[in-house]
Amino acid sequence: MKPKSQRLFLIGAAVAALIISALLAMPALREGAAYFYAPADLAAADVEPGQPLRLGGLVEEGSVMRLPDGVTTTFRVTDRLESVPVRYSGIVPDLFREGQGVIADGRLQADGTFAAETLLAKHDENYMPPEVAEAVARAEAEAKARPAN
Amino acid sequence: MNQTAFVIAAYVAAAIGIGGVLAWAYLTMRRAERRAEELRR
Amino acid sequence: MHRFANPARFLRLARPASAVCFWGGLLIAAIGLYWGVFAAPADYLQGESVRMLYIHVPTAWLSMSGYAGLAIAGFSALVWRHPLADVALLALAPVGAVFSAVCLITGSIWGRPTWGTWWVWDGRLTSMLVLFFLYLGVIALARSYDEPGRGAKMASILALLGLVNLPIIKFSVEWWNTLHQPASITLSGSSIDGSMLWPLLTSALGIGLLMASAVLMRMRALIAERKVSARLARLAAA
Repeated sequence: MKPKSQRLFLIGAAVAALIISALLAMPALREGAAYFYAPADLAAADVEPGQPLRLGGLVEEGSVMRLPDGVTTTFRVTDRLESVPVRYSGIVPDLFREGQGVIADGRLQADGTFAAETLLAKHDENYMPPEVAEAVARAEAEAKARPAN
Repeated sequence: MNQTAFVIAAYVAAAIGIGGVLAWAYLTMRRAERRAEELRR
Repeated sequence: MHRFANPARFLRLARPASAVCFWGGLLIAAIGLYWGVFAAPADYLQGESVRMLYIHVPTAWLSMSGYAGLAIAGFSALVWRHPLADVALLALAPVGAVFSAVCLITGSIWGRPTWGTWWVWDGRLTSMLVLFFLYLGVIALARSYDEPGRGAKMASILALLGLVNLPIIKFSVEWWNTLHQPASITLSGSSIDGSMLWPLLTSALGIGLLMASAVLMRMRALIAERKVSARLARLAAA
C-alpha cells in the first residue's frame, strides 16, 4: 500500500472505531444521562420514597394552588400519560406558568406527593411575539369549541 | 427580575470575546506581516 | 488538491477576503443584532430576555461548524499533508474556543432569568462544555511539541477524535431529558416566529463572516511567522 492510502485507511479505521464505540455507549448513557424523570418514568421506575430525584414535565392546567401560608405552592406535573402532585415552598421562577415545563429537585413522599426543594422553569422550542401567541391560543380554543365530527 | 440587565450583560460578554479575538488576530497578523516584509528587504 | 496549497496563491485570495469578511460581517452583524435587539418583538413567554437569542444561537452554531472545520483541516493535514491544512487548524482552534466560550457565557446569562439557574449538568450544557475543552485540548497539543509539525499532527488526531462530540451536542436534547429545550429550527421548519427568525439568521451570517475574517487573519499571521523563522534560520546558517 502506498503511504498515503495507508494513512487514509488508518485514520478512517480510528474514526470508525470511535463512532461505533460512541453508538454502543449511547443506550447506556440514555439511562444514566437523563437529567430528570418524567412522571411516566417515575411510575415505571418504582422509586423508593425519600430518595432524592429530579422530576420534569408540564405544569398541569388548572392545578396550581397557592396555600394560605403564602409560600407554599401545589400543582401537578404531567407528561400527558401520568401526573404527579408536587408541593414547593419558595419563590417560583418567572416563567412558571400552567402548561409550561418545570423541573423540580426533591423527594417523593410516602403519600405519593413530590416535595420539591428547588424549582426550575423549562421552556419549549417555540419563540413568538405575544400577538402571535394570542392568535394561536384563540385558534386552538375555536378548534376545541367546534364539535368533533 | 430586570431582564434588560441580563441582555446587556450577555452582549457585553460577547463583545469582549468576539471583539477581543478579532483584535488579537488583526494585531498578530499586522506584526508578523510587517516583520516578514522587513526581513525580505 | 495541491492547487491551492501554494501559500502565495492563498495569500492573494486571503488578503482581500479577510477585509471583505471583516467589513461585510461587521455591517451584516450590526444590522442583524440591531434588528433583533431593538426592532424584533419580545417573546410571549420570556419577554425581553429572548433578545439573547441573537447572540447565543449564532455562537453555538459557529462553534460547532468551526469544530467541523477543525476536523476537516486535521484530516487533510494527516492524509494529504496539505501545507495549508495545519495552518488552518492552528488558526481555527483559538477562534473556535472563544466562540464556544461566548456561547457558554451568554447561555449561562440567559439561563438565570429564564430557567432560574446559571448552570445545570444536563446533556446539552455538558456536551457544549466538552466542545470548549476539546478546542483547548487541540490548542494545548499543538503547542506541546518542540517540533511544530509534530504538534500539528497530534492536534489533528485529537480534532478528528473529538468529532464524535458534534452529534452528541446536536442530539443531546432528543436522546436525554434535558433542561435545554429541543431544536427550534429543523428540516421540517422553524418554531421561531418569522419576526425573530430573520434577524437571527442575519446575525448568524454577520457573526459567521466576522469569525471567518478572524480565522483568515490568523492564517496570514501564521504564514508570515513561518516565513520569518525560515528566513532567520537561513540567515543564521549563512
